[in-house]
Amino acid sequence: MMRCSDYRRSMMVDPRDADPQLQGHRVSCHDCQVYTERLLRFESRLDRALRVAVLPLPVKSPPQTRLSAVYRQGWWAMAASVLLAVVVVGALWLSVPGPSLAADVVTHMAGEPDAWRRTDVPVHSSELQDVLRNSHLRLATEAGVVSYASSCEFRGHRVPHLVIQTASGPVTVMVLVHEPAAKALRFDEGGYRGVIVPVPGHGSLAVLTQESATTSKAIEQIAARVLDSIVWTG
Amino acid sequence: MKDQVGGNQKRARFQALCQSLRPDLLRFAFWLSRDRALAEDVVQETLLRGWKAHDSLLDEAAAKPWFLTIIRREYARSFERKRFVTVDVDELVAREEPMLAAAEAQDLAEMRAAIFKLPDEYREPLVMQVLMGLSTAEIARELGLSGAAVLTRLFRARKQLRTLCGEDTSLDPQE
Repeated sequence: MMRCSDYRRSMMVDPRDADPQLQGHRVSCHDCQVYTERLLRFESRLDRALRVAVLPLPVKSPPQTRLSAVYRQGWWAMAASVLLAVVVVGALWLSVPGPSLAADVVTHMAGEPDAWRRTDVPVHSSELQDVLRNSHLRLATEAGVVSYASSCEFRGHRVPHLVIQTASGPVTVMVLVHEPAAKALRFDEGGYRGVIVPVPGHGSLAVLTQESATTSKAIEQIAARVLDSIVWTG
Repeated sequence: MKDQVGGNQKRARFQALCQSLRPDLLRFAFWLSRDRALAEDVVQETLLRGWKAHDSLLDEAAAKPWFLTIIRREYARSFERKRFVTVDVDELVAREEPMLAAAEAQDLAEMRAAIFKLPDEYREPLVMQVLMGLSTAEIARELGLSGAAVLTRLFRARKQLRTLCGEDTSLDPQE
């Protein structure tokens, strides 16, 4: 039986450690669940803080004749072209702002790896209703088999965290009532691909999958289906 | 002709590899040196050295730690070329403002200032783990430490960071 102090020490070393013993303790200890949520939020902030915006390097195009001369010199030619391409593409890539809400969603996933299993066994309907009722919504039509439903702490609020079994495999849905989004955002990070779509008047909805074969467009279609099935009750 | 095609393919693969890794390499060099200009120099030199030695990279999946080794070596060389003076962390934060701010929320700026304040021996393994995704064993290999020493440093790094950021540490374990 793992002690809380040992669990927390391990989490301080690596909050994303998926060791089954750690997961077992987390499931059985409410205080350590709360502690983990806090730690994962901190970790998400740390991760975002480390991803500083890298300023593009100045790119100066050398005159054609000089470039040609350089290109005639063995590996220098290759090295120069590698650097030039890296600078240009790197600059473009880095001009994209970091998806901080997406990063938090992905970080949250690390805390509940068990939710992702493929199954056709639905979660008990009363359990699902309890989770949804707390966020003033219900699912009007079946968007698929809901195999997991939990009311999770996310950025200081309890939010529904559902796993729905679809033809593309299990997808996670988080109803982020307190997180308005100006526009839809696609993300692909940490082994998860997903979208965050705005829900006017009700924050946003995050839908993500671990299936690398599922396209962003397919995930958007799933998100649209889920949105269609939501009835807001408050 | 066949050699030329093979060479082009090899070059394209290496280009793609550099393109995908460069942002994180630059960030790693930045957190290592806490100096943007130096980080850019170190990474540029690293990519050149990487190209020269790319035949020794047998598995592209191992490219990240492979480049990290070169970066750390290059960074150490920069000390041989130039003697750096110790600077105040507040000055560092102000100097690196363009790199740190970028319209981010205040809490990220505070976190970054706190990371700056971490001792090198704690900051480096933490950046390797969180930013570069290295395992404890890979960090241990890279830093020439035992696995237990890496675990201790990661633990202390987070503990200090949480204190510096004013987090509620009442539930944090003691060492």
